[in-house]
Amino acid sequence: MADATVVKPDLDFVKGVIAAGGESLKKCYQCATCTVVCNVTPDKNPFPRKEMVWAQWGLKEKFKGNPDVWLCHQCNDCSSYCPRGAKPGEVLGAIRKQTIKQYSAPGVLVDLVNNKKFWPLIVAVPAVLLAVLLSAAGTFGIPEGEVIFSKFASTHFIQFVFTPALIFGVAVGILGMKKFWADMKQANGVYSGDLKGSVTETLKEVAGHQKFKSCGVSADRFTSHFLVFYSFIALGIATALGVLYIDILGMESPFRLGYGTPVKLFGNIGAIALIAGILLMMNSRFKNAEKLGVGSYFDWLLIGIIGTVALSGFLAQLMRIAGVAPLAYPIYFIHLVFVFSLFIYLPFSKLAHIFYRGAAMCFLKYSGREAEQAVVQPEAKTEIPAASGPETGESAGEAGQAETKQE
Amino acid sequence: MEKKYGVYICKGCEIADTVEIEKLEEVAAKEKQIPVCKTHDALCSPEGLDLIKNDISGEGVNTVVVAACSPRVKYKEFSFNGSIVERINLREFVAWTQEPKTEDTQALAEDYMRMGITKAQHTELPEPFMLEEIDKAVLVVGGGITGMTSALGAAEAGYNVILVEKQAELGGWAAKMHKQLPQSYPFESIEEPTIKATIDKVTSHSNIKVYTSSEIEKIAGFPGQYDVSIKTNGGPEQAKAGAVIMAAGWRPYDANKLEHLGYGTNPNVITNVQMEEIASSGKIIRPSDGREAKKVAFIQCAGSRDPGHLPYCSSYCCLTSLKQAKYVREKNPDAMAYILYKDMRTPGQYELFYKSMQNDPGVMLTKGEVTGVSEASDGNLYVDLKDTFLGENIRIEADMVVLATGMVPNTKIDAEVLAEWKTKFDEELKASGGKPDPNAPLEPHKVPNILNLEYKQGPELPVLDEAYGFNESNYICFQYETRRTGIYTAGSVRQPMHMLGSIEDALGASLKAIQCIEATAKGFSVHPRAWDQTYPEVNLQKCTSCKRCTEECPFGAIEEDEKGTPFHKMSRCRRCGTCLGSCPERVINFKDFSIGMMSSMFKAMDVPDEGLRLIGLVCENDAYPALDAAAINREKWSNAIRFIPVRCLGNLNLAWIADALSSGIDGMVLIGCKFGENYQCHFVKGSELANERLGKLQETLGRLQLEPERVELIQLSIQDYDKLPEILAEYVEKLEEMEPNPFKEF
Repeated sequence: MADATVVKPDLDFVKGVIAAGGESLKKCYQCATCTVVCNVTPDKNPFPRKEMVWAQWGLKEKFKGNPDVWLCHQCNDCSSYCPRGAKPGEVLGAIRKQTIKQYSAPGVLVDLVNNKKFWPLIVAVPAVLLAVLLSAAGTFGIPEGEVIFSKFASTHFIQFVFTPALIFGVAVGILGMKKFWADMKQANGVYSGDLKGSVTETLKEVAGHQKFKSCGVSADRFTSHFLVFYSFIALGIATALGVLYIDILGMESPFRLGYGTPVKLFGNIGAIALIAGILLMMNSRFKNAEKLGVGSYFDWLLIGIIGTVALSGFLAQLMRIAGVAPLAYPIYFIHLVFVFSLFIYLPFSKLAHIFYRGAAMCFLKYSGREAEQAVVQPEAKTEIPAASGPETGESAGEAGQAETKQE
Repeated sequence: MEKKYGVYICKGCEIADTVEIEKLEEVAAKEKQIPVCKTHDALCSPEGLDLIKNDISGEGVNTVVVAACSPRVKYKEFSFNGSIVERINLREFVAWTQEPKTEDTQALAEDYMRMGITKAQHTELPEPFMLEEIDKAVLVVGGGITGMTSALGAAEAGYNVILVEKQAELGGWAAKMHKQLPQSYPFESIEEPTIKATIDKVTSHSNIKVYTSSEIEKIAGFPGQYDVSIKTNGGPEQAKAGAVIMAAGWRPYDANKLEHLGYGTNPNVITNVQMEEIASSGKIIRPSDGREAKKVAFIQCAGSRDPGHLPYCSSYCCLTSLKQAKYVREKNPDAMAYILYKDMRTPGQYELFYKSMQNDPGVMLTKGEVTGVSEASDGNLYVDLKDTFLGENIRIEADMVVLATGMVPNTKIDAEVLAEWKTKFDEELKASGGKPDPNAPLEPHKVPNILNLEYKQGPELPVLDEAYGFNESNYICFQYETRRTGIYTAGSVRQPMHMLGSIEDALGASLKAIQCIEATAKGFSVHPRAWDQTYPEVNLQKCTSCKRCTEECPFGAIEEDEKGTPFHKMSRCRRCGTCLGSCPERVINFKDFSIGMMSSMFKAMDVPDEGLRLIGLVCENDAYPALDAAAINREKWSNAIRFIPVRCLGNLNLAWIADALSSGIDGMVLIGCKFGENYQCHFVKGSELANERLGKLQETLGRLQLEPERVELIQLSIQDYDKLPEILAEYVEKLEEMEPNPFKEF
């Protein structure tokens, strides 16, 4: 058969997807209910059935440069309608994780983030590192007097340690994204298109969270992700203001009421929204656990890191105001550790979806594939006009920095 | 028995709203001179039943005529031990289907009263036919899992069993398996074979006599008294049995015919039977070079569901491949099994096994049509598929290919063998001077050498055209029945099935065999008239030895002695009454059903000079329930037709038509089953026989100078009950257009 695709099933790949959270993968008997109920799939070559078939057979090659798995926002309509409990949503999540793994370097960090048994190290390594650096700076300990966090970690310390961490995270992410982009072009045979227009359209779509709105079963995911997303932006603004005050206007932290009010306002609104968003995410996962799956280690790792960042930041502020130094500084240290983790694990953790989903969404517009999609708005849902505001995925990373700096 | 009649009319279920009950009473009391005649608001209520019971005990009533609902309902309530009971169907045939309180409706109900009472007058209590001796042993033919389970079933119930197996060892295919499918919940893991324990149980059971390396030479006799000749290694043996279970099993489809799948050309293409052998001897090694096969492709439906090979699904192959995929995975965790299917079919609870196998990451299941198997390098093979889930043609490389071949029943013989056999048969026929009759109602079946029955209709069990050589029952709901009374089939010779199915089947057949033996011992008929103690009684003095009854009996129950005089092998008889219909001399009758009874019933009808009067003879198995069903749905039909149930349309005796039409009845409609052996006729081809007899109608009616169109046979499928009113209306319309029957004036 001359025109046949030679299928080389890879048992290790199948096992890998299963280990990555796609435990239910093999339950699929390929009825295509998932594809029929999916609100975000294009009509032509729809997903997720074909991805389920590829994954079941271990057809690793098929996933190289595949943007479709990123079209899925894991709203889990598919999983809730699956007659076999095969949870295509979880499986696609596991496949996305495999993609992140594939494009990220160095391997040491890939393993650290992906391997459940290393979880204490994930926190311990940054904690030890920061403790050593702070000791070297001579500020590790509980300072006397009014609680002022810059006495524990100076503004310069923060800038010299956290800025490189963020740059590392973003750079690795961008490199991976570029490789992924090249693979997508090759795999889909698309070599030209309107890149600028596609980027603009993608940013608009991200800002408005349109894709989330077409979810049926877990519609609250729209709210939670929206809250988390915009809280990062609010925290980004707070950080920008901090930079303005310290580095341009030459002021010193802590910022007092009056000129400091906008920083406090953005910082606190951001923090509260972040905590609310994370709590909603957790709640939604537990609520639908039986039908949709509670999520993988990979999912929970990110939820845990972001949740701790938000909670420790907020608590540190409260303790500072209350003047409880023995609690305020340790909590602040925890906050620093988790923010640092967030930055260095950015391209390895689930947060890397900023790069890969961003690239995939952009590619779908670039290649014209998205135009094949007939968007069906679920019933009982009103169309929410897309919010404007060009914010890139990376801005979320900067937003993380903001919180560190604000105190 | 001196009869004392009691007529009981029910007023419930809209009957009293439709007809004048007093006038019905008058018909019974005045016209028919019935001494006891009573009415009740609800005859089936305890009070209503007491009314009847009190008359039986107090007044000595012994012939009870119940004018109420259909005899198909409330039969337990209206059954009185030692009394004749006749049911008149006023509810379904009058109250529910006719205009209330019209003259014609009243006339209809009154005619039903006259006919019912007349029928009771011609009915006698049955005296069961008793065999002098009964052999209660069960003969089981075939010592595989089915045969052994049947044998154990009957033996455990206290019956002696004779088990005959052709091979030297018991066990059949089940003994050749490496492991067996799960036999109980949760149906998830494969098991060590349990066949050894079953064999031990059979060989050590005191009620079971086992003959291995043996075949059946001949089975003569009839239920309750079979004489079995067994050919054994040690010479001929004789045995006696009361019933027979045939479990001759199956053989795999000949893979040599599957060259397009690489069988025979590449040694690494094997069958599922060979796979069991390989697995039994250790690692999964492939034949060509003895290397371990780590990528094994299973091709499902290899020669199955394919018009060029076996057109059917064997229902076990998918399960066997799943089981063998487990061998591959258990013996080497790095090995993969690819199962390539058209449709995955895992009957019953085995869905659970399928699910558990599907969860194994090393088992790849995919749908597609295999277009070919070709050689790759190194003794490997390419399997090409089209119509796959990828939407493109795919090619899979495997170390070894297993063809999941289907089941062929051992009763089916290959075309070449059959041709040879047929030539021999024809030669013998020629030599004996007999002429092969292509229109013979029951052709001898040409399946060789399993039961060797001494039977008019051939030595083996007949199969249906649509059963592909399997010994499937023609009874839709009674799987073990065959067309040979007292002989039941079970297991894969009856229908392709897996081992667990065979075990269930085997026990069902044991029960049927026991039922047959016990019914025969008490003089009851077997299925489908299992309550019946009447039997055909022949007035031999008037018999002309015309042999029509012996030809037409569907069950070979009537044979001829040296002088050509027919005699019944009564325990083979299923009381269908085909012989009654076939007899031109009208000498065959039953205690509760006779030629004379029917003629008297026609004559009992009131035939006025004006107005259409028609008779409907309806098959009680399907047409009568169809009428009842139409009535329950309140369909309306003509008031000109009086329906009379018959045991089967094969009861139709041409004398009835002559009698009916000569007494002024305008026409007769016969409603029976659809023709063809694959339809539901409980007695093989009753309505077809009736139709053949109608071929001679011209002659009968010509003498009376009547149009043959007055008589019409309608083939009805039971589910078409809703079409009945229309069918009947058409018939009535046709009759209305004809002149009235000139015999009305006589």
